[in-house]
Amino acid sequence: MDQFLSSSLSRRRLLQAALGAAAVGASSGLPWSNAALAQGWADRPKGKVDKVNFVVWTYGDIYTKIAQKFEADWGVKVESTISSFNDHPTKLATMFAGGEEIDVSQSSPFSFPAFIKQGLVEPLTGLPGIEEYVKDFSGFTKEVAVVDGKPMGLPYFSAIWVWNYYETMLEKLKIDKPFTTYEEFIEHCVKAKKDGVSRYPVMWVAGVGLEQLPGTWYSIVANKGGRFFDKDGKHMLGPGSIAREVLKWWANTFEKGLDISDPESLKLQFTTSAKAFGAGNNLYRGPNHHYGLNVVNDPAQSPIAGKVKVHGFPGDGRTIGVTHVYFLNSANRDKEWAWKLLQYLGGKTKDGVYTQAIGLAKDAMLGSGYNSVMASDVVKTGWKPWGEPEKILAMWEKATYIGEICNSVYQPWHFPWTDQLNIEVQKCLTGQITADVCCDNLIKGIDDAKRKAR
Amino acid sequence: MADQAAAGGAGTLIVPARRPFWKRELPVGWLAFFMNTPSMIVLAGVLAYPIYYAGYLSFHQVGLAQMRRGIFPFYGWQNYINLFEDPLFWLALKNTITFTAIVVTVEVVLAIAIGLLLMQTSVWTSRVTRFLMLLPYAVPPIANGLIWSFIYNFKFGFLNRVLLTTGLASEPINWAGHADTALVAVAVPYIWRTLPFAVLLVYAALQGMNRELYEAAAVDGASAWRRFWHITLPLLRPIIVVILILRTSFAFAVFEEVMAITQGGPGDATWVSAWYGYKVSFAPPFNIGMGAASAYVLALIVGLFAIAYVKVIYRRTT
Repeated sequence: MDQFLSSSLSRRRLLQAALGAAAVGASSGLPWSNAALAQGWADRPKGKVDKVNFVVWTYGDIYTKIAQKFEADWGVKVESTISSFNDHPTKLATMFAGGEEIDVSQSSPFSFPAFIKQGLVEPLTGLPGIEEYVKDFSGFTKEVAVVDGKPMGLPYFSAIWVWNYYETMLEKLKIDKPFTTYEEFIEHCVKAKKDGVSRYPVMWVAGVGLEQLPGTWYSIVANKGGRFFDKDGKHMLGPGSIAREVLKWWANTFEKGLDISDPESLKLQFTTSAKAFGAGNNLYRGPNHHYGLNVVNDPAQSPIAGKVKVHGFPGDGRTIGVTHVYFLNSANRDKEWAWKLLQYLGGKTKDGVYTQAIGLAKDAMLGSGYNSVMASDVVKTGWKPWGEPEKILAMWEKATYIGEICNSVYQPWHFPWTDQLNIEVQKCLTGQITADVCCDNLIKGIDDAKRKAR
Repeated sequence: MADQAAAGGAGTLIVPARRPFWKRELPVGWLAFFMNTPSMIVLAGVLAYPIYYAGYLSFHQVGLAQMRRGIFPFYGWQNYINLFEDPLFWLALKNTITFTAIVVTVEVVLAIAIGLLLMQTSVWTSRVTRFLMLLPYAVPPIANGLIWSFIYNFKFGFLNRVLLTTGLASEPINWAGHADTALVAVAVPYIWRTLPFAVLLVYAALQGMNRELYEAAAVDGASAWRRFWHITLPLLRPIIVVILILRTSFAFAVFEEVMAITQGGPGDATWVSAWYGYKVSFAPPFNIGMGAASAYVLALIVGLFAIAYVKVIYRRTT
């Protein structure tokens, strides 16, 4: 055996093997090829900086490793400012207004138009390697990150809206499969309540936010074939509209109607709802980002781990999806170094690999904004411990970008309008106003929001 | 002449030698001016300048880009017009007034009751109370809000557990999530945190009262209630006015408990003025000029209360 090894690893053979590998690598465009090394992610910027920084919102511990990798690869210190998702726009705004240097930051698609309008976002046009990235952008990513033909950001993650159900409770109710229609959904919930299996069979993600409460409404409306605005930007919230009817239906599940909705729903965000669902008190968890399964099916965080299943929307299964982005901040200290850091967060590392996107899929069950990552085995193997990747990917095929359902997301006034939407819809769900009044108020609020954003 | 003066002979006019200017005693007016100057400079920096600057911003178009560049286009009264046209501003103001009315009324009543209890040195609980009373004042407002949000939790909160266990409620109550109870749910933690301030004022006032008045009343056969009504309460009036005005001013600016417990919800049930100003200024589209206008209106309202405080106290004390 030793003899075989010593002969097979002779110096000549080793050189031959190395040359062969280099030739294959160069011709096939592998990350370590010469072609790759010539790309933007591999070259050292000319300028000199002591440090670079990013301002983002928190999600587990996804930034420690990538910051360490950047420091190891380039010898430049990375500083981070991390706040909660809902506080992030405020944090970023105050830092920017206060004259601080910010190299890279992050945005939801809902805040992005406002950030662009306020001059926080530096276009990526002409930066080395950007064309390669844009070619690999998924459909969702293009909708957010390419504005008026200019690349303005790189993807952080993508997600679609799915339902969850607690399998054990469904078995206890002797129901063989989850709902296939909205009528069936109500039947299951009413039965669960009547049989004393669950006091509040459905938990919604209906906390105030940009895509929490609004996302629940958007996704059901999308599933039923509706929209909030047509292509010309005219609202579709009038009497008889799908959006209005869905709201009536949704409000009826709360206290003043069937009383099957968990009252805590109005405070829940994505992750907190996953944690609350893990208590095992509810049968269904309303539409939410698919990656919540990595909390509710994690034995360290959930007593019902392994018993929560993903479920698609009724009918044709149409759902919505979204991509969040990282962007190069106009308050950067050095554009080339900022671009380098941006690529570590939203693109490729020095070795030409989508390190962060792959890490997010493996560690946090997040989808990627790059086609190549979504098509790779990384997603399937990475998501496996928490859910059913094939099932989720099949739902992904039926997902429409959120902006098609509510195209105000492309407008700076979407944010103040969403503030009002959160208020009015919560009032509707708590029985303070009817769905009709709510929608009428939202129609009136469009002009107010436009005025505020002017 | 100098020798004569030094000798101090009788009938001789003594003229003291003129001191150098740095050794001379200042006239009272100048002394007051110099003594007050440092504090005036500090107050001008930390109080007057921000108030002036907020006023300045409120008349200009100020977003993030303008803040970054430091160039603010003049906007006239437009921020105020936009503000007064926004129904949410009026709703927030209404909620603030309701909140303030609840908080101040409860605080005054409780402060007098607790202050009187603290004065009862014969009751052993008063010593314990005196110590415990100060604890809430040491809790940071945001931490206070978070603690109470756990207490209010619909399913697992301490309050609902107690009510359900004792049979006082058959179903958990959604304290912070129901429009009818949310504002009160925010008011209670606020009162809990700020009450010690009012109690301390009342307690200090009670300690300064002349005991002879009570002794005379007791000799005349006045009941405890009549002594309270005819002696204690009139003597407490100046301090009650102080508490009313100061607590009103602070309650108008409530923010942390709203942030931690309800974030303005459910719906708009707990949108208060400070929360409104924060959302307008620091959430997209970052209308800092309008936020400054709202803060300025709030500051003016609070200023009116301050004037009322001075006027009322002045009238009472004279």
